[in-house]
Amino acid sequence: MTTNQKYNQFIAFLIFSFVINASLSSRNWKAPDDQKDKNSYIKFDASTAAQGEAIYNANCASCHGNPGKNNALKSLNPIPPDLSSTASQSLTDGELIYILNNGAGLMPSFKNSLGEEKEWMVISYLRGFNKNYIQELSKFDPAKSKLVKLVSSFDKASNSIIVNATADEKNGKIAIVGAEISVFVKRYFGNFQIEKALKTDASGLAKFSFPTDLPGNKNGDLEVLVKLYDENYGEVQVTKTYSIGVPTDKPGLNEDRAIWNTLVKAPLWIIGLYATGLISFLLLLAFLLNNLRGIFNSKV
Amino acid sequence: MLDKKTSDQIVADLTSHIKLSMGFKVWMAFLSVSLLVCLYAYFLQLRDGMIVTGLGDYVSWGMYLANFVFFVATSLIGMLISAVLSLLNQKWAAPLARIAEIIALAFAAVAGLVIIMDMGHPERLLNVFIHGRIQSPIVWDVTVVTIYVLISALFLYIPLLPDLKICSEKLTNIPPFARKIYTLLSLNWSGTTEQKNLIKKSTGALSIFIIPVALAIHTVTSWLFANTSRAGWDSTIFGPYFVIGAFVAGTAAVVVAMFVFRKAFNLEEYITDFHFDKIGKLLVLVSLLYLYFNINEYMVPAYKMKHADAFHIQTLFTGSYAPLFWATQILGLILPIILLILKPMRKPLPLLIISIFVILGAWFKRYIIVVPTMEHPFLPVQNVPINFKVYSPTLIEIGVTIAPMIMAVLIITILSKVIPVIPIHETLEHRNEQEK
Repeated sequence: MTTNQKYNQFIAFLIFSFVINASLSSRNWKAPDDQKDKNSYIKFDASTAAQGEAIYNANCASCHGNPGKNNALKSLNPIPPDLSSTASQSLTDGELIYILNNGAGLMPSFKNSLGEEKEWMVISYLRGFNKNYIQELSKFDPAKSKLVKLVSSFDKASNSIIVNATADEKNGKIAIVGAEISVFVKRYFGNFQIEKALKTDASGLAKFSFPTDLPGNKNGDLEVLVKLYDENYGEVQVTKTYSIGVPTDKPGLNEDRAIWNTLVKAPLWIIGLYATGLISFLLLLAFLLNNLRGIFNSKV
Repeated sequence: MLDKKTSDQIVADLTSHIKLSMGFKVWMAFLSVSLLVCLYAYFLQLRDGMIVTGLGDYVSWGMYLANFVFFVATSLIGMLISAVLSLLNQKWAAPLARIAEIIALAFAAVAGLVIIMDMGHPERLLNVFIHGRIQSPIVWDVTVVTIYVLISALFLYIPLLPDLKICSEKLTNIPPFARKIYTLLSLNWSGTTEQKNLIKKSTGALSIFIIPVALAIHTVTSWLFANTSRAGWDSTIFGPYFVIGAFVAGTAAVVVAMFVFRKAFNLEEYITDFHFDKIGKLLVLVSLLYLYFNINEYMVPAYKMKHADAFHIQTLFTGSYAPLFWATQILGLILPIILLILKPMRKPLPLLIISIFVILGAWFKRYIIVVPTMEHPFLPVQNVPINFKVYSPTLIEIGVTIAPMIMAVLIITILSKVIPVIPIHETLEHRNEQEK
């Protein structure tokens, strides 16, 4: 076998595996049974659909296209499905939000960028394309999330963030057990997750060991975002600033004089050259105008 | 030949074209109507937006920018003939200095308008002054083009003072108000030694100062391209390459103007075959230099064939732009050089025909510099309609492109009707020197 043939075989293998992989990954998701029957706590109506449409256009339309318009991004493999199609609409609300939360194939997770409320609005918009759809509301009461008290603290000895989740129920303060807690540090763009999501223990606590090398601002401040998700209490998040980062004082690249900076921060040599050119021209102009005056005033 | 003529005859010859002839009126009517048609195209562009052009996300600089570079280029000739050749004491070029200055002024003045036509909102030009950064070549370009227009106007006006006096005295067939304007503009010229000295000093200073300014306008224009890293523009020789290319276009433009003025104004005794022969040689010289820069500009990237450059160069050499590219290089540069080396080809008529080809070549060369690069961005172009990928100018766009050409010809026509195109004062002085 020549090298060339081997090479061709290798390429064919690569393409084959890619196709197999892509087609596998396209049905690589299966919502767990308890997720499948999940329903929205928001009542779908014209207002939620309108909000959902805006969210859809900003986040989903670039790949899925507009529902019913057959304008999905054809260069992706598999081609993102039209979400108004019978196949898509046959999925339950629980399955739809599962895909939104976890992603599928090439599709990323929208759990952290949109959050559950916005995800339901998108589903509300999509259900508008299905005349036979009848919404089943979740028994979850959004007012319950107002009862949640989420407190985080930093434990210096173990270098960890300790999250305490409680709820002020009528019968007194109780610990929220088994709720999913995620901890993030805010970056310039998006959030940086600390460890994996953890479940609260019997006393409503979750402990996240915190890295020691995260760069903070001049004082080492970091903004820590704690997020709780619980079947009963829904989604709650709090942010708090801790001085637990490495103090970092790097002046921005645009703080010095530079060619790419604003006019007031132009390099001195450019200002000098430009001004010299302009002043020379003005001097020449003055010289010429003076000469013309001399010609005009010259006596025979 | 001029020795036999009296001063009065020479003055009469050189001012005879300053009158409203029938031919002039017909020509002006033709230009005005054509300009109105083109301005209507511009009106459509203003009304409906840039959607009426072939410009889009990828090719945002199309025909208009090519046109702008062509106008700036042609205007450089004023510096070459009036300043460089006079500083080098090339006496043969003296009668052509004013023609070159008229062309320089007309083309430089219109160049700015071309940029405004390229902008969907003309009033956004003000943003250059409100938000402009001194670090941006666009600000430098606006500055130097403005300075060049002012300097060219002064360079035309100051040596004209004695001739304006002659016009006010000798032109008896023009309305009295016109004579008054000539008198006013001639600034009490009476030919005193002091006045002559002042003119000499002024033109001397101008001849020196105009050289860096002219180099600057075209170098800065080239930097609008070369200061980006796009394939086909990312070049260190773009400044001199543009400047030499400008001399080619400008010299050819002067040849056309010489031919037309000579025929229309009966100046056969003043613009002779000798002048055509000389300027033909100048055209060969600058064309050879330009050929040298062209070989450099294409040879170096074509030898290395870096990914993006390779794509660009293949499009030019053998791809979709090959017919235009080779036609421009062969008909607009290589053939003119070969032909102009032969003396008979430097006679007025053949030289005129060659120069027209050179001018057309110069215009399309700018098109080749601007457009193909814009069609080849570094990032892949995906999922866009075909008319986004391939640029083809629309009819309205062509109309808007022709408008500034008509304006430049209009300015040249009007200037040639109000001032003597051959410097009278200098012709007389030159003759007096020879008599002595």
